[in-house]
Amino acid sequence: MDNLDLLKKDWKKQEKSIPQLSYDEIYKLIWKRSSSIVKWIFFISIIEFALGAVLNIFIADDEYWAKMEEYNLTIFLICTYVVSYIITFYFIYKFYTNYKAINATDSASVLMKTILKVRKTVKYYIGFILISSAFVFVFSMIFILRNHVLTAEPVASNMSFDWKQWLLFIGGTLLALAVILGVIWLIYTLVYGILLRRLHRNYKELKKLEM
Amino acid sequence: MNKELEHQFVTNLEKNQNIAHKICRIYTNDQESHNDLFQEITIQLWKAYPKFRGDSKFSTWMYRVALNTAITLYRKKKKSIRTQDYDSVHFKIKSEAYDDTAEQHLKLMYDAIKQLNDIDKALVFLYLEDKNYAEISETLGITEVNARVKMNRVKTKLQNIINP
Repeated sequence: MDNLDLLKKDWKKQEKSIPQLSYDEIYKLIWKRSSSIVKWIFFISIIEFALGAVLNIFIADDEYWAKMEEYNLTIFLICTYVVSYIITFYFIYKFYTNYKAINATDSASVLMKTILKVRKTVKYYIGFILISSAFVFVFSMIFILRNHVLTAEPVASNMSFDWKQWLLFIGGTLLALAVILGVIWLIYTLVYGILLRRLHRNYKELKKLEM
Repeated sequence: MNKELEHQFVTNLEKNQNIAHKICRIYTNDQESHNDLFQEITIQLWKAYPKFRGDSKFSTWMYRVALNTAITLYRKKKKSIRTQDYDSVHFKIKSEAYDDTAEQHLKLMYDAIKQLNDIDKALVFLYLEDKNYAEISETLGITEVNARVKMNRVKTKLQNIINP
């Protein structure tokens, strides 16, 4: 078929104009995959932080603060905001340095160490989110309860809980806490878990090469 | 030990990178996907490199692994690429059918190749690379007779695309 043979000639002619990568550029390509995963972890953490900040601005209007004032929660809330922002910034910074580190890496063993570090950082981060959520939940409950006890007027004598009701109340609260934490945990493992699994796969491949 | 292997691999790949670039040209349409495919091929080659014992030439081995990578990757994205290609090629055929300069003709051929399925593209690629049927059959893991039959079908297919 002369059509294809014509093409073959052209194909050979074009061979000279193919762009060439240097040794270093090819070398870097081998490690690129882990670096792009870590980059995504960094981006997602920033998106997540921005989303949280925007949500806060919308929720925390004057009415919200007035209500919190009523429950004596204002100072407590401001403190938790400040602390959580500091810790979140710390994690974003960590994700960023991980990303930079993985980009600059040029040997398998260092890359493996960095991957382990990234996984650890993400796990700590999810741990921090879970613990802080539980903390905010429990303390808010305590504040609201205390406020209720202080301001409620004893309408009837049977207002106070007996031990059975207390048990029910605490059990219910714990159940609600467990459900909330479960949902948060699920969301985070979904978002970061996929990336971490891929990273882990890369790690295993690297380890195989190392042996 | 690992450093040594890395150096060996990168040196080999640097020498033979044309193969990967040419596969990218057959399988992708723009620079970005070209680069993506090139990177994926590099990674797959590197992953498979410890199994490369050197009983065949690096380039022979590279043809096989790189083509497999392109075929697998192409299968995943098949749908979106297909519809896009199909429309643009058909449009071109209609509007440029009267202009029969050699260059236009080559362009039509390249566009027609883009319309082929993943395996057919591999066949055309190896044909353009001046491989004989023994080499084609070895690279694609099919029998020589099968390679001949398939190649003839591909030629007819190309003919039909260009002159419908």
